[in-house]
Amino acid sequence: MKFFPGCMIHNRYPGIEKSLYYVFDNLEIEISPLKGSSCCPAPSITKSVSQDLWLEIGKRNIQLAKNDTIMTACNGCFTTLFEVSEKIGTGDVRHVAEFLYFDVGTEKIRRSITKRLPLKLAVHYGCHFFRPGEYKKFTSPERPKILDELVEAIGSQSVDYRYKMMCCGGGGGVRAGATEVSQELLEIKLDAMSNEEIDAIVVVCPLCLNQFDNGQKELENSRNRSYGIPTVHYIQLLAVAMGMEPELTGIQWHSISSTDLIEKLVKGEMAEE
Amino acid sequence: MDDEVGAVINKCIQCGTCIGSCFSGRVTALNTRRILMEHLAKGVPIENHDALWFCVTCYACQERCPRGIPVTEIILKARNELARRKGLPGRLKNAFSYLEKHSALVPGKDRNLEMRKELGLPVYHSQFDDEARKEVSEIVKRHLKEVIR
Repeated sequence: MKFFPGCMIHNRYPGIEKSLYYVFDNLEIEISPLKGSSCCPAPSITKSVSQDLWLEIGKRNIQLAKNDTIMTACNGCFTTLFEVSEKIGTGDVRHVAEFLYFDVGTEKIRRSITKRLPLKLAVHYGCHFFRPGEYKKFTSPERPKILDELVEAIGSQSVDYRYKMMCCGGGGGVRAGATEVSQELLEIKLDAMSNEEIDAIVVVCPLCLNQFDNGQKELENSRNRSYGIPTVHYIQLLAVAMGMEPELTGIQWHSISSTDLIEKLVKGEMAEE
Repeated sequence: MDDEVGAVINKCIQCGTCIGSCFSGRVTALNTRRILMEHLAKGVPIENHDALWFCVTCYACQERCPRGIPVTEIILKARNELARRKGLPGRLKNAFSYLEKHSALVPGKDRNLEMRKELGLPVYHSQFDDEARKEVSEIVKRHLKEVIR
């Protein structure tokens, strides 16, 4: 398998990549970096300008893998490469969350962890993980369960909250193109999450991570709203549950951190035999 | 918008499921139902609406449309014309210059490379590979030439 990092993981959240290699090594699945791969390019932003540009760069990235499976850990990269592969009829593109769920399975994940993480988590799928259903046929376009079950497999609790299926406000070029709208949507989402008792927000996309994490800092400045909720990618939690040092996940570099969360990650709970 | 899109929009029954599903429409002037209605009733081009830039492309409208109208795809397509006419809004302007120059919409800086080094990860994005970067830059230049300048 080849790992496709995209810009956000390669250039902003390398801890996601480190965690993914740790998990795959633990599961004895061979994976190596897709060298020379570029921006996927980001689906909505690029399609807003030129469908042909989107298709041609996407095709170049797929062809680099020479028919080897392409593993992504970003909803944007997954969407672009998956849709382009369907259009050109070549390339096997996966998102790590659906791969873990369908090909590894929650039972095996349960057996593979060395410690359970007793966390209360607000699950956020990210729109492009499960929509449009025309392409992402593997789950419900309204009520996906994959990430909730993956979270339970590592001993954490998925806490239900209002607006669970709402966008983080970071997609479609809105974060860069209409920042105020993006912040308004983020505020609605965070208000709903903060009504529940949670240790962290868990995502499967570095763009959502960036929106929740850096977005909270921005809300402090622009709207004087402070939430202090850390955000993590699921693969970072899974790596820790499998025994990786929390520092190697890079969460210490996220904007919002919490000693409480780090303590829980370090200690964990004894895994079932 | 081409005839093909026009024919699809003709199926709209103005039920409002799209705007009822639209989180962005709650806080902005984006009103998908009205945009489709004005197109159908008065021939107003979809791309006349600047509010199209407020769509987060969550696909809820498209997923739920009982007539199978690909609302989000229509919005993305209309944005092509909007971008041609008026350019890109906000910081999106810079994004494509990054893509052209670095082959990355989110380019890495020294600090980011240090993080990779600290974690013992290789640097292999096309941004840091002269040949790969030039190859991607050429693709971007070729397509953007007729689109935005």
